[in-house]
Amino acid sequence: MNRIIMFAVILLPIIGGSLIPILPFKTRQRMMFYIEALCVINSVLVCSMLFYQPNEVFTLFRFSGDLSVTLHLDGPGKMFCALAAIMWPFAVLYSFEYMKHEEREKGFFMFYIITYGITLGVALSENILTMYFFFEMMSLVTLPLVMHTHTREAILASRTYLYFMLGGAAFAFIGMVFILSYGTTSSFLPGGIIDMAKLDGKTDMMLLVYVFSFFGFGIKTAIFPFGRWLPKASVAPTPVTALLHAVAVVNTGAFAVMRITYYSFGTNLLRGTWAQDVVMLFVIFTIVYGCSRAVKETHLKRRLAWSTVSNLSYILFGVVIMTPEGACGALCHMLFHSFMKITSFFCAGAIIYKTGKNYVHELNGFGKKMPKIFCIFTVSAMALMGVPGLAGFISKWSLVRAAFASENILAYVGVGALLVSALLTAIYMLTICVRAFFPGKEFDYSTISDVKDPNMLMIVPLCVFLAFVIYFGIHPQYVLTFLSGIDFV
Amino acid sequence: MDFVQNFPFFSIILSLFSGPFSAILEKKWAKRVNYFILFVIGAMSAMVFAYTLETRQAYVYIMGHFPAPWGNEIRFGILEAFMATFFCVIMLLCMVGGERERALEVEDTKQNLYYIMVNLLLCSLLALIYTNDLFTAYVFVEINTISACGLIMIRQNGRTIEAATRYMIMSLLGSGLLLLGICFLYSITGHLLMSNIQVAVHGLMASGLYQRPLMVAICLMAVGLAIKSALFPFHTWLPDAYGYSTVSSAAILSSLVSKGYIFLLVKIFYRVIGSDIIFNSKVIHILFIFGIAGMIMGSIDAIRENDIRRMIAYSSVAQIGYIYMGFGLGTTEGVIASIYHVLSHAATKSLLFITAAGLTDCTNGKRNIHEINGAGYRNKLAGVAFTVGALSMVGVPMFSGFISKLLFSKAAVGHTIKMLPTLIALAISTILNALYFMKTVIRIYSPIKDENAGEEYTCVKFYEQPLKSVAYILFIVLNVVMGLNSEPIIDCIRRGLEIFS
Amino acid sequence: MSTILIIPMAILIIAGLVLLIWSFVEHIRCKGVYEEKHTGIAQSIFLIALFVSAGIVVYLALGKERSVTLFYLMNNIPIYFKIDEIGRWFVLIVTIVWLLVGIYSIRYLRHEGEQKRFLGFFLLVYSVLIGLDFSGNLVTMYLFYELMTLTSFPLVLHNGSKEAIMAALKYLFYSMAGAYMGLFGIFYLQHMMGDLTFVAGGAIGRAFFDENKALMLVAFFIMILGFAVKAGLCPLHAWLPTAHPVAPSPASAVLSGIIVKSGVLAIIRVIFYLIGPEMLRGTWVITVLLILSLVTVFMGSLLAFREPVLKKRLAYSTVSQVSYILFGIFLLTPKALTGALLQVAFHAIVKCGLFLVAGVFLYEHHVKRVDELVGIGRRIPVTLWSYTFLSLSLIGIPPMSGFVSKWFLAQGALVSGTGVFEIIGPIVLLVSALLTAGYLMPITMKGFFPGEEAASEKVKETSLWMLVPIVVLTVFAFVLGVFPNGLIDYADKIAALQW
Repeated sequence: MNRIIMFAVILLPIIGGSLIPILPFKTRQRMMFYIEALCVINSVLVCSMLFYQPNEVFTLFRFSGDLSVTLHLDGPGKMFCALAAIMWPFAVLYSFEYMKHEEREKGFFMFYIITYGITLGVALSENILTMYFFFEMMSLVTLPLVMHTHTREAILASRTYLYFMLGGAAFAFIGMVFILSYGTTSSFLPGGIIDMAKLDGKTDMMLLVYVFSFFGFGIKTAIFPFGRWLPKASVAPTPVTALLHAVAVVNTGAFAVMRITYYSFGTNLLRGTWAQDVVMLFVIFTIVYGCSRAVKETHLKRRLAWSTVSNLSYILFGVVIMTPEGACGALCHMLFHSFMKITSFFCAGAIIYKTGKNYVHELNGFGKKMPKIFCIFTVSAMALMGVPGLAGFISKWSLVRAAFASENILAYVGVGALLVSALLTAIYMLTICVRAFFPGKEFDYSTISDVKDPNMLMIVPLCVFLAFVIYFGIHPQYVLTFLSGIDFV
Repeated sequence: MDFVQNFPFFSIILSLFSGPFSAILEKKWAKRVNYFILFVIGAMSAMVFAYTLETRQAYVYIMGHFPAPWGNEIRFGILEAFMATFFCVIMLLCMVGGERERALEVEDTKQNLYYIMVNLLLCSLLALIYTNDLFTAYVFVEINTISACGLIMIRQNGRTIEAATRYMIMSLLGSGLLLLGICFLYSITGHLLMSNIQVAVHGLMASGLYQRPLMVAICLMAVGLAIKSALFPFHTWLPDAYGYSTVSSAAILSSLVSKGYIFLLVKIFYRVIGSDIIFNSKVIHILFIFGIAGMIMGSIDAIRENDIRRMIAYSSVAQIGYIYMGFGLGTTEGVIASIYHVLSHAATKSLLFITAAGLTDCTNGKRNIHEINGAGYRNKLAGVAFTVGALSMVGVPMFSGFISKLLFSKAAVGHTIKMLPTLIALAISTILNALYFMKTVIRIYSPIKDENAGEEYTCVKFYEQPLKSVAYILFIVLNVVMGLNSEPIIDCIRRGLEIFS
Repeated sequence: MSTILIIPMAILIIAGLVLLIWSFVEHIRCKGVYEEKHTGIAQSIFLIALFVSAGIVVYLALGKERSVTLFYLMNNIPIYFKIDEIGRWFVLIVTIVWLLVGIYSIRYLRHEGEQKRFLGFFLLVYSVLIGLDFSGNLVTMYLFYELMTLTSFPLVLHNGSKEAIMAALKYLFYSMAGAYMGLFGIFYLQHMMGDLTFVAGGAIGRAFFDENKALMLVAFFIMILGFAVKAGLCPLHAWLPTAHPVAPSPASAVLSGIIVKSGVLAIIRVIFYLIGPEMLRGTWVITVLLILSLVTVFMGSLLAFREPVLKKRLAYSTVSQVSYILFGIFLLTPKALTGALLQVAFHAIVKCGLFLVAGVFLYEHHVKRVDELVGIGRRIPVTLWSYTFLSLSLIGIPPMSGFVSKWFLAQGALVSGTGVFEIIGPIVLLVSALLTAGYLMPITMKGFFPGEEAASEKVKETSLWMLVPIVVLTVFAFVLGVFPNGLIDYADKIAALQW
């Protein structure tokens, strides 16, 4: 019985979402109520699933032979599910306000809700085929969200988005087929499933395939040189950029890389090989590269997007350390970064919504006019920098500890990159705060007299996310204990 | 002998004679007769299919009770019956889906001719599928060519004449080579019946005699059929022929005609020569290389193309490349993948052609993809169907293209040397497919451009063209079913191949 | 009742936040031009919070040893406070300076405006500094180190000019870079040692150290260099001369007097309380750092000598003088450490006083450049006399306090066993002292003896709110120079703990 829940939490948003354009809502309020209820109910279902912890597997359907779409709840999946379940209801709440003035609201919410189901699908995947399935679905259902505004820019961005997504999937496909053929089973098992007898000395080939699939799945996390799509995709409405391109979609990529590294290829085969060095070099480079581009960028959302690029590579860095501690650090940063980044993105969205200002240099003096938003933004900025006492520091700490414990020289370099990136983060985030709060003596506030804080629909989700950022910063024990209890090897 | 065993023969004869019959009918009735015949033959093939599936045997049907080596044989098993059924279904859907365009584009006086040609084509396809005689196969290859030319040329707008001529020249070159190959084989084995040739060939291989002529014969036949099925670099005739003919012709040509030749090639591999000999020869390496080249080059050509129909036509070149690459892997798994791709490509490509016509239709007939913006909103069902086809071509899970991609790569993984080239070529080709197909999909859902803002477009509701809508929906269902529930189909192909020779 | 440790911090944070929020709300409420209201109440809140918490801090510093764990950042990383010897030393210096500068800034800020914001941040920085000085382990210290940067940079950009904002950002990013370099070392040490609680004399075992020597030394080097950014070690000193001139004078005073010393405290904590001085003796790390500190001592003086803007000159002087301290630390002898600690105290008092004087010049007479100060001594003699005595102390002329610390530093250098530095060190110190005299004394000379043409009518001295702190600091500089024994004994005691 319990395992039906796994199926239900995926199906409910997909069906409920698809119904949105069809159902005849009399007023906007009713639609809002329906959508919010859908999200809350699904989140409650997810919570009860996490509570009951069904241990069985549930097979949705079979493609052919032993290739099936199968669901199962395990450690990393629990974390990802919980993340999605917390985020969605609040993000939807925020979107109600944000989307007030946008057209084609129904279409937007339809895909927005469907993505919820798909994300849970990725989290609950029992084998690589299932994950690939939801991985591709994710690219497709988020595409309409990227091109939602229908401007020329959005169309071009959506094209880039799709090319990168499908291109990534094409290379991920290589890894998937390899694992299906050379694995002892098709399920994800801690420690990997590669059958040494079948492999028969073709280690280099396996490593090459690993590198391919790393980049294939890694494109979703915008790893260099495939990171261009993420800043471009920030033309989408902010709820999309915030929830999908800072949390759901990109975390899916990181999650998938973690799955293939720890649960498919197995770290025992990969650790210490040239493949690890190659991927780690790219990851380290991306950490610094993303931040540097963020410093250069003056468009607020694009700046945050580049920051996401860099932060996602923190997660990947944890993954490619290829020790259980590394995976813990990666998952930890995945969780914490989601809260930090969605907070800052929602702040950016509130600014755009209330004022239409997009560029950093237009934000002078806003701190006085939008005090709530900018106070929240400042705290999230400090969290991203890694000030102790906020969430960012904890995850960085666990990543670095894992890096040192791995005794890998490249990992030491990675720690350096992490710190350089922290400095660059300070530069690109705090300049915004300084501009907003200290516009300079000569600044004329009358030019921005109509700027105001948004209403509670936007403030409440922000406060909730911020509370999580602070809570995780001073009391991370629960999360850390949970993560270190996950079986990776 | 069960009565069902007569059905393959009946269906060939039925389609052959319904041609002349429809010549004397009114065009409206000719159409109905044509649909009816397609339906009946489809039903009969399905019964044959069910019958063979149950008995799990292949049957030889001796025509006129003349035993070999003088008589002519029909041989059918699971695979043949399945192919025949599938081809009938696709053809019916193509005819229904392209009905409106056909009525507009083909002259009134030539409507009957069209149905004759379609019937002849079906007849030749069925013969290619069922026959156990190499020479009969050749004869029907020629009939196939001629009727295909007719289908291209029947829409008379100048370009089709040129395209048909090109098609004719290339095709005749191909069938000439095939004929040469058959002659060689006949002269060294003394047989024309396929099963007999195989026995003789094995004898030759064992004795070590005539090795070189045998190889030459295999090469000639393979190359001949490759030209006819438009394997890169022999594809130059294809874009014009598919691009400018009326849409049901294009759909039928791309999804069925070239597949008939490919099926004949499978037959030659398995039944005439024997798979063990083919898989050990060097011919398959050549096919592999050209297959991969086709996968990439076809897609690159398609990316450069702005005409939506020609773009889809170029995509066919790439897909044919997939199929030959599957043969080139030199394993039964590879051949299974190729045959599955024959099916999935037939289902997808005809869908794409027909929906593309639906989309250009509500864009005032403009076929340039830069002007097709917003067509997906004007004809919603066609838009959805085109998207499904495109996703299937790109190989997104849930649609048939994904399964064939999966089968190809699983077949490749077993191979030591060809594994990585295949996998990488598949990945690159996927990306290239995404480049042009998804670009088009995004375009049809983009708002209309400013420079076209003044134009009046017609909107098409799905209930305005019920038959067409049904065809779209059936195509979508076919694609999704093949994508989600491929297991029985693959199983049929595998069992069919086991009893194939 | 060890939680009493947190009370002064809590008082300061609450008072500081009250002032900040008040200012913020006022800003949001106001239409048109901003006018500050109720400054009197704000000043009273400020003074009460400052004095109450200073009182508690003094009580704590003079009282028994206490420690308290606030909460656990992670399973093995507590936020942990402990009052130890060196913490007492630093916290008392901070408190003295903060009280005096606090009184001073009440009047001074009239001229800058935005009093509540300044005073609020001023209290916050004090609270953070108390936390920093009482930190019982490295992570706690790092936490307050970062917070110190974040809370003190609004002091720098206080006047809101474009220049000030850029300078503040420069300060911020330099400090951040330094902190992150330090963080690298913290990460590494946490991995190697597991426990980062401060232990006098260091906590690494010899054998363990030798085993991982190469990598450890690199990590230490990066870490010490990182903390030295705050202390203005060349080549990472560039923020100091940029930040000081644009900051309000009280801010420059505490920046130079105290915040720069926090970098010193961090380095002392790392070298003496974690690694242990004996581990580093004779390694390349110490050699490089010694060279850097001597170069900084010399270069800072030289740059100050050439600098016409008074506050910038004093900033360069800070660069030079703080490197005296660093030099003393890197010598790794008890004597030199005593000297370094004494220099911490004396320089804090003296440089603070000098900046306050510079503030008077700016506030009352709008004078920035040194050459505009001609004849100033005739007009405000008390201020300039204070300036003169403070300068003498900085140069190190007995019986002023600066002499004592330099004496110990030179002695420490001579017996340090560091080879060539035994000789070069004292020479550089001497040359630098000469240069110090060269850049400080001309102001006195020109101030009192402007020559014939200058007008010299006497004007009123500045208000007592500002004058008293300056005089008190001068008296301190003098008295501690004459009766340094108590201090020397205490510094000796701290130094002796390390060996």
